[in-house]
Amino acid sequence: MSANIILQTRNLKKYYGKGETQVHALDGVNLEIEAGKFVAIIGTSGSGKSTLLNMLGGLDTPTSGTVMIGNAELSGLKEEQLTVFRRRRIGFIFQNYNLIPTLNVWENIVFPIAMDGQKPDKKFVEEIVGLLGLEQKIHSLPNNLSGGQQQRVAIARALASKPDIILADEPTGNLDSRTSDNVIHLLQMTSQKFQQTIIMITHNPEIAQLTDQTIRIEDGRIVG
Amino acid sequence: MKKMLSVLAGRSFRACRMRNLIAALAIMLTTILFTTVTTISMGATESMTLTMQMLKGSRSDGDFHNMTAEQYEALEDARFIREYGMRMPIAFLANTACHNIEFDVLDSVQADLTFCMPVHGSVPKAENEIVTSDAALRDLGVKPEVGAAVRIVFTAHGREYQMDMIVSGWFEATSEQISMMWAGTAFRDAHPDIFEYTYDRDRDMAGTYYSDFVATSTVGLQENLDHWVWQMGGDPDADNSDNLSATINAVTNPALEPTTLLLGAVITVLFVLCGYLLIYNVFDIAVMQEIRRYGLYRTVGMSRRQVKKLINLQALWLSCVGIPLGLLIGYFVGKAALPYMMRTLSSSYENVAINVNPSPIIFVGAAVLAAFTVFLSTRKPIRVAANIPPIEAFRYAEAAAGRKTTKKSTAGTSLFRLAWSNLGRNKRRSAFIVASLSLCVILLNCIGIAADSVDIEKQVSYSIRTDFTVVNALSKNILEGFTRREHGLGQEVIDAINAQPGVNGASAIYKNTLDDSDVTYGFPVEFDYTGTDEEIGIDYAGTKDGIVFNLGDDGHALCNVYGMEETAFARMDIQEGEADAHSLYGKMVNGEGVLLGVVSSDMGSSVLNPAFDLLDVGDIITVFKNGEPMMELPVLAKAALNGDDIEIRYTANGPFRVGRDGLFLYLPTSVYTEVYDEPVIYKYSFDVEEEQQDAMSEFLQGYVTNVDPGLGYASAEETRKDAVTTRTMLQFVGGLIGIIFGAAGVLNLVNTIITSILARRHEFATMQSIGMTARQLTRMLIWESVYYAIGVCIVGLLLSVILAFIVVKTLISGIWYFTFHFTLVPAIIVCILLLLVAVILPVIALKVFNKGSIVEKLRVAE
Amino acid sequence: MDIVEIRHLKKYFKDGSQVVKALDGIDLSIEKGKFTVIVGASGSGKTTLLNTIAGLYEPTEGTVIVDGLDLSKMGEEQLTVFRRRRLGFVFQGYNLIPELTIKENIVFPLELDDTRPDAAYFSNLVHLLGLDNYLDACPHMLSGGAQQCAAIARALITKPSVVLADEPTGSFDMKTTQNVAGLLKMTAATFHQTLVVITHNLDLAQLADRVVRLQDGKIVQ
Repeated sequence: MSANIILQTRNLKKYYGKGETQVHALDGVNLEIEAGKFVAIIGTSGSGKSTLLNMLGGLDTPTSGTVMIGNAELSGLKEEQLTVFRRRRIGFIFQNYNLIPTLNVWENIVFPIAMDGQKPDKKFVEEIVGLLGLEQKIHSLPNNLSGGQQQRVAIARALASKPDIILADEPTGNLDSRTSDNVIHLLQMTSQKFQQTIIMITHNPEIAQLTDQTIRIEDGRIVG
Repeated sequence: MKKMLSVLAGRSFRACRMRNLIAALAIMLTTILFTTVTTISMGATESMTLTMQMLKGSRSDGDFHNMTAEQYEALEDARFIREYGMRMPIAFLANTACHNIEFDVLDSVQADLTFCMPVHGSVPKAENEIVTSDAALRDLGVKPEVGAAVRIVFTAHGREYQMDMIVSGWFEATSEQISMMWAGTAFRDAHPDIFEYTYDRDRDMAGTYYSDFVATSTVGLQENLDHWVWQMGGDPDADNSDNLSATINAVTNPALEPTTLLLGAVITVLFVLCGYLLIYNVFDIAVMQEIRRYGLYRTVGMSRRQVKKLINLQALWLSCVGIPLGLLIGYFVGKAALPYMMRTLSSSYENVAINVNPSPIIFVGAAVLAAFTVFLSTRKPIRVAANIPPIEAFRYAEAAAGRKTTKKSTAGTSLFRLAWSNLGRNKRRSAFIVASLSLCVILLNCIGIAADSVDIEKQVSYSIRTDFTVVNALSKNILEGFTRREHGLGQEVIDAINAQPGVNGASAIYKNTLDDSDVTYGFPVEFDYTGTDEEIGIDYAGTKDGIVFNLGDDGHALCNVYGMEETAFARMDIQEGEADAHSLYGKMVNGEGVLLGVVSSDMGSSVLNPAFDLLDVGDIITVFKNGEPMMELPVLAKAALNGDDIEIRYTANGPFRVGRDGLFLYLPTSVYTEVYDEPVIYKYSFDVEEEQQDAMSEFLQGYVTNVDPGLGYASAEETRKDAVTTRTMLQFVGGLIGIIFGAAGVLNLVNTIITSILARRHEFATMQSIGMTARQLTRMLIWESVYYAIGVCIVGLLLSVILAFIVVKTLISGIWYFTFHFTLVPAIIVCILLLLVAVILPVIALKVFNKGSIVEKLRVAE
Repeated sequence: MDIVEIRHLKKYFKDGSQVVKALDGIDLSIEKGKFTVIVGASGSGKTTLLNTIAGLYEPTEGTVIVDGLDLSKMGEEQLTVFRRRRLGFVFQGYNLIPELTIKENIVFPLELDDTRPDAAYFSNLVHLLGLDNYLDACPHMLSGGAQQCAAIARALITKPSVVLADEPTGSFDMKTTQNVAGLLKMTAATFHQTLVVITHNLDLAQLADRVVRLQDGKIVQ
């Protein structure tokens, strides 16, 4: 893999069911993502973008084909190894934030690091917190934050462990337009500042326009 | 609308099988708790009542005696009598060996009420047919079988009769000393001479009518009886009239003691609490899981009352499943446990009958209590569901962190800290689980302490001072006692015993009887009143404090007087006066005085009961014989008496009937035999060398069965076994209840863990997606579960200690055969078990309920 | 005619020691039969406003009059009955009762009142929303869009004074959003229903007769 490519898939396929009713969610996806880029994967609902994201993040196993992040091949890893890999090398941002309700903002942000038994790089985390405007809310619990604030915490969490790639699944889906813009700009900024690779899936072409690169997926295949 | 509510309830009922299963289980467990205890206590009461009735010989509500034929016929009109039997006594058979056989004419009702119905064969029809017991037949030299011929000899109205009868049927004897033999009305009609009424002239019972009856209601029975007797021309208060009289059968309708009622109340409250903690949590969780549904209902316009009705309906259906099942299981568990429990009681009483019928009281009572508990437990959850503002309900996230909005610390991300913060989500629920499990720990520990505190040696030392003691069987019957010369022990027994190896320290104990009314005692105690006991024809006198002394022929007190050897004196518990048994004995042998015994203030205590402590050391007791003073005996010493000193073990009927409340005098054998013309041995007490004790037990058992059934014996070992069985019974019943409590607590825990996992699946998937491994998740949940267990350990152990000293010790110190002995072992054992369960449960629950890939679970709508 | 009249409405919440001014002086009149959309950033107070109109929140200050009824003068039970008969609700998420059929779900508010639906009206409504074939189905068998249509039918079955919808298309993709939005508008118009919808979806907002913009608890232009 060339030095710049951080993520690569080869003939990635994901089929559900058998015979006549078999669904080809992914039908041979070949992808190469350069490090440090903010990439959007766009498609309508049912196009396979969510499935693709799950493959890239190691949340689901492909029917065939490979996914490589850095120099690691995901399909070779077992459940436990995969989880460890995810927490060290992949960051997630979900549509519904998925913060842990009993932990405050700081604890949520350092959660993956803590699960690894590591001590967080305090300076770095504080920098992220500052960047995302969360200093006042460090001790707040998620139920005290607005949707936009929660998503910012999720972004911070994804960044904190300095992963190879960040995968974002419709990160602005639950947010109003002003907050959405805000969030996308934050993603852009952090991508540039930390040279962080971010892969975002969305169905909204306007949002996709704000990224470095747009990849279109339709019926389980990359098009265009 | 009602229909819709029930449609709604029904559909959602079917949709949540798991939850409904657990709720039904919870209700069932609670019902089992109530039913088991109701069954056992009702069964025990019934069995004990039956046993006492068999001892007494009748299960009637009461009986009439000495009636004329007209008075007997009149019973038909008595409205308070449901059914009555006919008994026409004739006489005791004269041709018996050692068994007493009363010969009567009975009808079937009477026979049934007095346990004389034939088990083999049938009731007598022809005039020469009789029914009697196997023991009676054997005593008459006849093998018990239907159709056997038996000869009977008896005297009535001064004439001797000899007849040959045929056994039409027979039953198993309930008493070793006495049985009934009865003939039918054909016999009565064939021998009118026997049944001539002469009672008012010569008190001859032949010719009178007796009747045992069953009352329509026991309420006001005494008044009804008195009124009836008065109506029939008798005097209800006259103890020994020549007219009819009636008595209530005390053992059929025993009075309910307040302590029993109190204990029942405490137990009921405890059980309701246990059920409450479990069912409340189950419904609370169920309601909370459905809270958004209720929010939707309320937003769309369902009124509070409608919501309440809906949930009440579901609770009702669940009860309709859980309660009957619980009743059934509880009944059978109770029934299975009963014989075991009765067996432990049977060593105190011979021939315990075990009887438990499915009385409606058991089921109705348990069902009502269970329903009440369900009702109580569901009030709050239902109110919450009905009253929650719809908006809050909609936004409710089961897994939310409650009301807090900030959290100061930043250290929360190690696994066990995570687990700890999860517990804070619903403090009340956590508290209820801890409470529910702690109940189990505390209960089992308290029972354990009580069982451990059963002071066996104390009981032994109260009952018997030697290894063995032999008496007349009447002394062992709590309704009878040693009262006549004929009840004395013969020399053959004593010789037989002495012939056995290992016997030492033996002493024959003599005692005075009602037949020794020529010997009496005078002493410096003032009598306030006198009276006569008509039934046994004895006069008595009483002090102003109500201490009563039976009087002899000359108007002085009969007292209870014992004669024994020095070895026996050495065993007594001397409290005042000459302490050295040897010199005491020496002085007494010289006629210098007597040992006065005083009942102890409490069983097992050495303190003289002040109420009965009427004389001082030095007071003179004058012995009268045939009205003339014979000797003067100063009180040399006073001893605290135990059961063995009075009669044997716990019985005291004999001395009660002879001397009544006192005095208890102990003389050397030599002096005793001087005073009493026909001295009679009532007891033979002796020790046996350790290795020979089993042999002696066997020997005595064999002797009583084969040689002389009129004897009875007691051994220290037997008493020890009885005491152990009391302990075992405590452990058993308490353990049973404790286990049910434990099951309830574990169910509570299981339910909470499972619903917590189900509600947090999305959260778990999130955590796993961002890096928590499956193993870390399991560890976190194990920690959560273990925290509960640790909470229980702390609360349980702490409260066990506190309650042990405050409650158990107080309760126990009131009962003489307990000596408080503290232990924490039961609590510790339960806690360890609980910790194990707490570790295992989450692992299993996760495997079962956290199935599916991360992706699937992430997609699950909250 | 104004079916909803709101004067000087204030709704404050206590959050620990802080006071959150969710609504800070709202004057609003909503015309009968019209489709009004309320937009605003998250936290602007739109949901609070909707819920206050529904009688689910009691105003801290000010009055809310719906169809001539002064909500502040009504007790809890009366408000519940008011909601049952005079309001229709469509939510973003959990809307239908999973164990009831579509038909049963639709007539639910009527059942609470022990009333039968007007048969002609019912079949009209069902047909308009394309639910004819789904009446005996259970909600989970329908797509999200179809479920929402059923919710719309339920909202309308009582011929309410106002239909309130809180982000009715929030979780849908564009195509479904367009469908549902269109149906909502059309059905409301057919039955001369007043419709108040909260959304941040600008496409939906474009369908409205009037757009009310909220910011920090106040109406802005």
